[in-house]
Amino acid sequence: MDNSVQLKPNDMFNTYLLFFVIHSAQIGVGVQGFQRIVYQDAKHDAWISVILAGVATHIVAFCMIKTLEVYGSNDLYGIQQDIYGKWIGNFLNAIYIFYCSIAFFSVLRNYIEVIQAWLFPGISTWFLSATLLLITIYAFTGGLRVIVGISFFSVVLALWIFPMLIFPMKFATLDSLYPILEANVRSLLKGAYSMTFTILGFEIINVIYPFIKDKKKTSKYTHLALLATTFIYLSVMMVSIGYYSEGKLLRTVWATLTLFSFISFPFMERFEFVAVCFWMLIILPNLCLYLWAAYRGVIRLVNISGTKFVWIFSFIIFLATLIVGSRTQINMVNNQVAKVGFYIVFVYPILLYMLTILKKKFTAKKEQTNENT
Amino acid sequence: MKTLSFYIILLFIVSLLAGCVQTNILDKVGLVTLVGYDVGTEEKISTTAVVREVNPEFQSNVQVITTENKTSKGNRMKTNRKLSKKIMVGQMRVILLSEELAKDNIHHYIETNLENATVSNSLYLAVVEGQMAPLLEYKYNNIEDVGQHIYRLLQQNIEQEHMISSTLHEIAHDMYMAGDDIAMPIIKKDEELVGIAGIALFKEDKMVGRLSAEDSFFVKLIRDNFKSGIYETVLQKDNVPSDLLKNKPNEISLAFDAIRSKRDIKLVNPTTPEFDLNLKVKAQILEIVPDVNMDDPKKVAKLEKAISKNLTSDIIRIIDYGKSIESDVFGFGEKYRSSVRGSNLTKEKWHELYKNMKVNVKVDFVIMRNGVFE
Repeated sequence: MDNSVQLKPNDMFNTYLLFFVIHSAQIGVGVQGFQRIVYQDAKHDAWISVILAGVATHIVAFCMIKTLEVYGSNDLYGIQQDIYGKWIGNFLNAIYIFYCSIAFFSVLRNYIEVIQAWLFPGISTWFLSATLLLITIYAFTGGLRVIVGISFFSVVLALWIFPMLIFPMKFATLDSLYPILEANVRSLLKGAYSMTFTILGFEIINVIYPFIKDKKKTSKYTHLALLATTFIYLSVMMVSIGYYSEGKLLRTVWATLTLFSFISFPFMERFEFVAVCFWMLIILPNLCLYLWAAYRGVIRLVNISGTKFVWIFSFIIFLATLIVGSRTQINMVNNQVAKVGFYIVFVYPILLYMLTILKKKFTAKKEQTNENT
Repeated sequence: MKTLSFYIILLFIVSLLAGCVQTNILDKVGLVTLVGYDVGTEEKISTTAVVREVNPEFQSNVQVITTENKTSKGNRMKTNRKLSKKIMVGQMRVILLSEELAKDNIHHYIETNLENATVSNSLYLAVVEGQMAPLLEYKYNNIEDVGQHIYRLLQQNIEQEHMISSTLHEIAHDMYMAGDDIAMPIIKKDEELVGIAGIALFKEDKMVGRLSAEDSFFVKLIRDNFKSGIYETVLQKDNVPSDLLKNKPNEISLAFDAIRSKRDIKLVNPTTPEFDLNLKVKAQILEIVPDVNMDDPKKVAKLEKAISKNLTSDIIRIIDYGKSIESDVFGFGEKYRSSVRGSNLTKEKWHELYKNMKVNVKVDFVIMRNGVFE
């Protein structure tokens, strides 16, 4: 069955841009407040959990790329159709599309919640959701190359936020990190599991792979991007552990933003307000990439034009943001995304890789016997 | 091009319809610069707010309003009812707590301010000796805006390292930390002046003791590092080295500045618990009465030793006081937690251990130089 993605060279993008795509897809709303969730399990060894989660992403990304390499120029949707056949394959594709949609929704809803909690308690959800969706739709209609461009600018323009960690570092104590490895392996792994929601996003490689120009360098840039993400998460986590005391960190909902609330410049009294606004640039690639990934799946199932799809999709998401209102509901969605994401992104690719190898061996044998006879 | 203009028009319409967020124009809001909490006479909480109203034409005026209610937010609403302008807390710089309230429980007042996203984490906290309202409502001759004045007073002293730092972040940090207790400055009205009168020491969330403003130097020395502090001491006759001067004086007064200190705490015995506190202090002599010849390295060494001894006894006195009121503002508990594996330290557990704590103090004092005129 040949269902590989056929592309013209000018639909593709340069491989080095993959670094920005993956990095920007990973960093989003999770980083604003992942500390306390990880800290709950691993306590002051939470930074080790971050490293463990980072290592896991490398292993999974390795499997993903190996699987994709077998097929040359195809995405996850095509691979699933090929391995499981039309019906089961399409069923799994639908699940993946659903996953992309709820991930999209959760990013959008979380960001709206942050704006409402920090900046404008009076602003209505539908307005923020409509504005953000319109921007996303606009970017989406520009095509993949525009989305990749947004990813690039999102990373480059947000670079200056990272050195801001130096300010809270002055109040951080090294003692808070000791004694190292007090938590047992179980709680460390549990902490790493809690990282799922924050570290998700690199699965975009499954869908974007056919669009990369020089496929040989894919793994290099993917792993570099994962490394950069892990490094950022690790620094944020270590500064947070030093800056907050145990009880305070457990009760701070958006620890990264509160970390910034200490910073003030002569021309800018409250830095975190700027950071919250600026975060829109950071989540925009998240939204665009999930939307695009969902679209790539949908066109394998039904014949639909991009514009039509994006309007229907946005309308459903728009209605959903109105229904999910309270913090508890949002947290429930986040937990579901993390749970589903864990199996789809961390467990399933390894399984799929094994199946692909088996299938490859099987077909190779078959061809061999065919040739012999 | 057609789609682009379509989106632009759509965005424009949506913004017009719903993009009007509540605005806060400076002329139309009252900025709360300081809030003082006290125990109310009728209701639970009495709040005194210093509100600064900015007028474009006139000089901005300052209003001090006291209200009583069951919650602090309720007080905010009550204050709002007495003002012509909407009050905002984004510019709040100081939170004051009355002594009576501090002795009861401050937990709630810190938490309610942490929950509010508009309250900055870098504002200062202090305890007020006596009642809150008289301090803030009094019309001082030379102080125009009492809120701003207290803020500057605290900021200046904390930045100059004359006082321990007490930002909301640090207070909350210590409050939620198992091995640490809160300490914050005490403010007092003195006729026409408002000044720092000492430091308040807390056990968990209750104020249990106080030290004089001079002693805050030692507290800071034990819990923190100095970058450039100042310190004044008197060597009594018994402590003065015998051959320092020809005629042995009754006492030697000394003043230092540009003090740099480094503290190093080590847990030597976790069961007692026993700590080694090593302090390295470097300073420059500012004043010495009577004059000592500083050319002689032997004499300098003797003087250094005498000062070290003096400092040691002061530090032991402060730690003993802290132990007697069971308030660990020095952070020994945090050191204990970070050194003992699986300690699962809680505040109660630490306070039990803290009573029997032993500290071996060792001060290493070095005189770097003595000004430009010998």
